[in-house]
This record gives sequence, structure tokens and C-alpha cells, in this order.
Amino acid sequence: MTNKPIIIGVGRTSFGEHYGENPEELIEEAGLKALEKAGIERKDLDAVFISDYFLQVTNKIGIEEGFVSELLEVSIPMETLRSFSSALCCACNAIEAGRFDIVLVGGVEKMTDRLDKIRDDLMMLGDPWSYHAGGTPEAFHELMLREYVKTYHLNGEEVEKLMKALAYISCKNHYYGSTNPLAHFYKRKIRVEDAIKTRKRSGRILGLYDFAPISDGASAAIVVSPRKAREIAEKGLRVIGRGSATDYISYFARNYKAGFNATRKAVERALNEAKIPPEKIELIELYDQSTLMELIALEDLGLCKPGTAWQIIHESYQKEDYTYHINGNTLYVNTNGGLKADGNPMGATGGAQIHEAYIQLLGEAGNRQIKFKNNNPYALTMELEGFGTKSYVYILGRWENEL
Amino acid sequence: MSSEPIERRVSYIADRLRGSQCTICGKKYFKIRDYCGSCGRKSFGKMREIDFFYQKGVLEVCTVIRGATNKFRMLEPFIYGIVSFDGVMVPGRLTDYIVEDEFDPTKFEGREVVARFRRRYSVLPQEIIPTSSLTFTFTDEYYPYMEYNKNDPEEYSNKPGIVSYGVYTSRFRIREGRMERSVPFLDEDAITAAVEAGKIALIHAAIDSKYIKKIYVGSESNPYAVKPIASKVAQVLELGEHAGDGVRAVDAIDTEFACKAATSMFKDAAALSKYASEEGEDFFAMVIGTDNSQSAPRWAPGGELDFFVGFGAAAFIIGNRDVIAEIEGWYSCTSDTPDFWRRDGQRYPMHGGRFTGEPAYFKHVIKAAEGLMNKMNLKPSDIDYFIPHQPNVRFPLKAARRLGFKDEQCLPGLKVAKFGNTYSGSSPVGLAAVLDIAKPYEKILLVSYGSGAGSDAYLITVTPKITEKRSRTEKFNIQWQAENPYLTYVDYNLYRKFKEGI
Repeated sequence: MTNKPIIIGVGRTSFGEHYGENPEELIEEAGLKALEKAGIERKDLDAVFISDYFLQVTNKIGIEEGFVSELLEVSIPMETLRSFSSALCCACNAIEAGRFDIVLVGGVEKMTDRLDKIRDDLMMLGDPWSYHAGGTPEAFHELMLREYVKTYHLNGEEVEKLMKALAYISCKNHYYGSTNPLAHFYKRKIRVEDAIKTRKRSGRILGLYDFAPISDGASAAIVVSPRKAREIAEKGLRVIGRGSATDYISYFARNYKAGFNATRKAVERALNEAKIPPEKIELIELYDQSTLMELIALEDLGLCKPGTAWQIIHESYQKEDYTYHINGNTLYVNTNGGLKADGNPMGATGGAQIHEAYIQLLGEAGNRQIKFKNNNPYALTMELEGFGTKSYVYILGRWENEL
Repeated sequence: MSSEPIERRVSYIADRLRGSQCTICGKKYFKIRDYCGSCGRKSFGKMREIDFFYQKGVLEVCTVIRGATNKFRMLEPFIYGIVSFDGVMVPGRLTDYIVEDEFDPTKFEGREVVARFRRRYSVLPQEIIPTSSLTFTFTDEYYPYMEYNKNDPEEYSNKPGIVSYGVYTSRFRIREGRMERSVPFLDEDAITAAVEAGKIALIHAAIDSKYIKKIYVGSESNPYAVKPIASKVAQVLELGEHAGDGVRAVDAIDTEFACKAATSMFKDAAALSKYASEEGEDFFAMVIGTDNSQSAPRWAPGGELDFFVGFGAAAFIIGNRDVIAEIEGWYSCTSDTPDFWRRDGQRYPMHGGRFTGEPAYFKHVIKAAEGLMNKMNLKPSDIDYFIPHQPNVRFPLKAARRLGFKDEQCLPGLKVAKFGNTYSGSSPVGLAAVLDIAKPYEKILLVSYGSGAGSDAYLITVTPKITEKRSRTEKFNIQWQAENPYLTYVDYNLYRKFKEGI
């Protein structure tokens, strides 16, 4: 346990459309906030791990590290990865291996700079055959929804409930997003009926309100070794368990299509490492690229039995208390608004999840602070790359300097 | 710009839906693999190539695409899903289908489908046309499932002739007055129709496609000015022996002479077959006439053709074994009569108006028919079916009467009122319609006409073999294609949109 990395500072920009800024300016803002929160200087950094998916295509930026070096005027080791969680994973590996003590992890995306082609670009995260056959980013989700209905033999009435549950997920995440000043849809609540209506209007299975938006934004975290944390920090989050897994790029070729095997494997590894009772996890930040992904994630994370998440969500919908009740426990999910309402600037999204876990667990969430039941609550974050091709799970707990 | 190497690799796999099967564990994969993922290194060299081109699959799950990726914009809305071929999953787009407002996936899921070879998506005019068979239609609608048995050819015949044939016309029609015309779907063109017709001809022949050693494709609507259609047909239908590296031991050539581009090659195919058999070689040739018959819109110069043009292809396998109709003799004639032409770089052909009748069509058709009848010492009453080129209903009947044929001899092969003028496929479609119903030993006089101008006349005698082969493609015969409960009728605006394609 002793070498588990500690996150001692987080920072992020607001998510949404940032016409005026270049990607490097966004990551600068997030990075500076994280450094400030951690109370360290740029010269203290040992290494930087950057994450972005599309800067090469959206902004013709080939070597992101050079921009960060130029901004911070440091020449330390840096690497670029895809998702924030993958960058954080590399940072944690390096710290646990004893290679670095203080690492900056930063994620950024500037999707609106290429709005007319970004959905085609998103198809890069899938297999080429789905693209050549006419698939869209949304089609993966809709096909999985059909697989889900088929696998669990849901009848007409059950499907209707499932569709309402999905609409409610959107409504819930918009509710949380409406309270988050940094969210893409701050102060923009929706009703369940709105989500259902947009599906009808577009003639599609899932509608506008079922999918995360295209956003710009950046996020950052300072990750340090426990030894260094004891020297320089008062509090933070300890990464007590983490896991990742990989699945086939071709969704259609996977044996199990009503969920993601990668998430099942990743969470198993993370829980094995964390060695905490799962019910102590009260906050979950999961990857709701679509409302279906939130539902699927509840099952893949092992919170409920496969094929039952829609019932749990439907019950929550009837209570309209924006939390899920599983086996007598109350579960907060995506209190930042999730990808749906907080926004989904791909490379920065995982950082927003860590950011939310950080401020909630450390009691810094202000008027939207969760009242945890446990004295020592835990948070879990789950991020996907592609359509369940990669899955990263982090289990985070409070850390306080005992000195 | 698209990447030519990527395009070549993608279409090599997707046009035929190629896959691999591990001979150790039996696992099947979509795409060609050198080894099996489950068996690992020991399976190197133990993978067998398979494909799903002639198979039927099941649409497992589907959704509707509204808001497609950029290159698919012109095709939307369309249905997209996952198809299972005996457990191997592939993604696919449902084609030949106009999506209604309300979408209910349960109406589609669980139904049987077959792969269809189509254009993949829109590209810039200077780019390679992308194709694929990741495109499906339901077997219980217009295009049924037909089993392809790859056998070796059997009986020799004295004269070379037609071994099998296949006709493809699309599901869409425009109906104006008493005339119905076949309209391509958005993703169809002369290339896709040629492949479809060739595929049906192979199913009808039930011989291994490796025996087809020459392919001629006659067309005047090749979407390329430079690049053969025949090479695509040869690759997709796997004609000739595989010579390694995706290269096939087949001679492929495109021909062009307005509407007689295909019929002209029957005699070449027959002569080659005769020559090869004397050399002791099994030789079959495929002749395809295919056209997305071109015409300017009605309001533009040349637009008078827009009342008659159709879409379709007819393919004939010609050889000297398992012959269903022997080619007894031929007679061709030519003169430089410019009644119809299209200059290079022009989109649509021009037309000589009323001069296309007497000095063009009638002169050549009658000369060729009389020439052959004199040569073979036959009179019209000796012939059971007369099939002239059919640009409209009036011309063929008038030519038949002038030659001394009765309307009854001409009508069974007169299909222009059902499909429109299919240009290179025009008289060949008529021939196929007659072969669908002909009895052994009946005699057929086929006379094509190509503007420019010339005619080829053939005397063909049906053999008893015809009846045993008929059942193989009966489900998709001319009768079925002409009078089909699943035909979808479009108006002139949609017709123009479909005609221009993606």
C-alpha cells in the first residue's frame, strides 16, 4: 500500500466551446490551476504525461510535449497518450516504480475546431469495417441497445421502461450539470419528456439528449509519490486500486455484446488491488458517452446483475432523487454532470472525473457537496477508450498527511 | 484524397467478404488471417480462405442511420446493423430500401439476408470508386437467396454455345403510361450490375468460377473513362485460377459499341472456346452487357432518351460443355452511321432524333437478320423466337413484321416495356427471357443493334440441358424481376436522383 500514488492537486477549464483559445492555452489554464492547488512550482515537476485523441487532426499539432515544454520552460521527460486515464496510468506506473516523484498529468481536446468532420474522426476509435459499412459513432450505441434488449429478452413494456430509464439518465446528468459552473450545460436542466421527444423527432432509437456533446476543454492533476506527498502536501486522493483491460477493436466480432468485457476485467483488477468493500464506494464517475453507457457501466462494474440496471434506474426515476439505490446503499453517479452535461472533450474527460472525485471526497464541492454516509468514503472512476475497446478503472480514497 | 493502397486492400476483402477458417479448431474470421487467434503459432499455414459472397446470413441487430458520416450522407437515411454468417459477424448497410419515418428494428432483426455488391459511399469525381459487399438485402424480398454449387463441367457438345446466363435488374421502377423502366438504387452503376449478372450466371452454370478464363464486359456507361469494369468483375467473381497475390489467370477486357458491345463478343467467346477445346483445354468465357443507360434529364439536349432508358445487365457463360443453347451461326454488319454518340468528357449522349429509325436501326437489324437467314438457309417460319434490339416497343415489332415474323415470335423476348432500354443489355435481356421459357430444340434468332452503327445476328438452338439448369436461378428469373410484388416505384425526381447515384 505504501507506494500508492497520491493526487495532490487538480485543475480544469470549463467544458464547452472555446472559440477563442488554442489547445495549448486550455491545457495551460488547467495545468496552472492544478499546480496552484498542489502548491508546487513548475520546476518541481519530474515528468509530464499529456493526453489527447485528436489534436493531430483537429489542430495539426503533432508533438504536444513541445508546446508544454515551451509554456513551462522545462525540459523534463514528457509523453503523450490518448485518454486522461491512460496518461494517469503511466504516471502511476512511473511513481510506483520509483522513477519520478512529482508528475503532471494533463488532458486536452479541441473538437469544435473541426466540427464538420469530427464525427468522421470519431470513427477512428472504432474498426474500419464498421466505418466502411456506413456506421456512425452513435450507431455503436444503438446496436448495443438492441443487443441488450435481445440478450435479456425484454418485452415491449420492459423496453419502454428501459427507454424511460435512459431518458432519466440524461435528465439526472443534466440536473447535476446544471449545478456545475464548469459544465458544458451549466444551468441547462432537461425533462425526461424532452429526451424522449428528441428521439421521436429525429426518428432514431437514441436522440440528441442520449449522447454526450462535442466539447473543448482541458484538465490536469498533480500526482506524487507518497514519500513526496508527506513532504509537501496536506491532503489529497490516494489511488488505492486501479485496473485496465483491452478488448477487440471490432465491436461486431466480440462474443459478448450487451456490455463491455474490458470494464468487467478492469474493475475486477482494481477491486482486488483496493481491498475495500465495494459498498464503501459512494461516488462513481463513469463514462456516459451515451445514456446507455451509464446503464451498461452499472452492470459491468458489478454494481448490479447483468440485465437489471434498467430496473434500478427506473426506480430512481420514479423517486426522482437523482441517485441510485442498490441493495440499500445510495449511489451517486456522475455528480459533475457526466459526459452528457459536463461535456466530453475526449482527452480531458477523464481528468474531469478525477477532478470531481477530488473535490467531493475532500469536501470542496461547495453547494453541490455530497453528504457521504461512510466516514471514509471512496470514489470510483471509469473511463473508456473507443467503444469499450479499452477500459480504465480507478478507486480513490482520501489521503491526509498524518504529520 | 483517398489513399489508393488502402482502397485496394479494403475492396479486396469487402467486395467478396473474404475470411479465413482455422483448419485446426474450425474458428472462422472475417478478413484474411495467416493464423488463428485461438490456436496461435501452430496454426500458421493451416488457415483456409473462405468467403461469404454466396451465403445467406441473418441480420442480428440493426438501427437507422440519420446523420451519417460525411461520405454516406447521400445514402441516408439507411438501416445499418450486424449480420451473422454462420456465427461470423460483419457490419452492414441495408440497401435497396427507402426508410420510412417510423423505424421499428424488430421488423428487420432476425431476417435472412444476402450480400450485395455495391458502391460503398460518395467520393470526389477524380477518385477511385469505392465498392463493397458490406451491403445486404433481405432474401424474402426482391432478390432471393440462390445456392451456388461449384462443380466441374460435364458433357461436351458439338458446337460451342451458351452454358448459362444471368440477368440483373434493380428493385426500383419508374412507371409512365404502359412503360416501366428499371431504375438503379443510389449505390448501383454499370459495374455493380455486371457483377450481379455474372454472379447469377455462375449460380446458373453451377461450375467453378476458375474455369472462366475470359471475361468481356460491354458497356457504354462505365463510370471510368479509363479503367476496365471487367477487372472488377473478374476479381469479385474469382474468375480464372488464382495465380497468387490476388492475381487471377483470366483475360479481362471491356468492349464498347453502343448497345451491341456485348453481343458482338458472343462469337469471339464461342470461337475461343472451340479453339481451346481443340487444344484440349477447358475454356469458358463470360460475356456481360451492362448499362446504367445514360440520358440527359428531359429538359436538357438529348433528354428525349429519358423516356426510354433502363438499368440492368445480362451475363452469358459461353463454352463447349454443358451447353444449354448452341450457337449455330452468325452474321454481322457495320456502317459508319452516327445516330447516337457521346463525346469524351460529356456526361450524356446525344441522339439523332428521327434519323435513328430508318437509316440506322431498321437498315442494320434487317440486313443482319436477312444475312444470317440466307446464310443458314432459313425462313422466318423456321424460327421460334425473334429477338431484336429493343430501344422501345415500336421498333422491334416493326422490324419483325418487315422481316416476316409474327408478333408472337417477337413478344416473348420483348422486355423493353418492363425494364426500359438496357443498352448493352437490351437484346441480351430479351434472349434471357426467351431462354427462361424455351423448350429443347427451339430456334432463336437474336439481332442486336449498336448505334454508330452495326448489328450482330445469331442463330441459337436450345438443347435439352436447359430444363435441368432452370431451377437453379428460377427464383430470380425474368418473369420474377418483371412482375414482382416487391418492386418499388419512384417518381421522376427520385428517378433522376437514383440515376445520378452517389
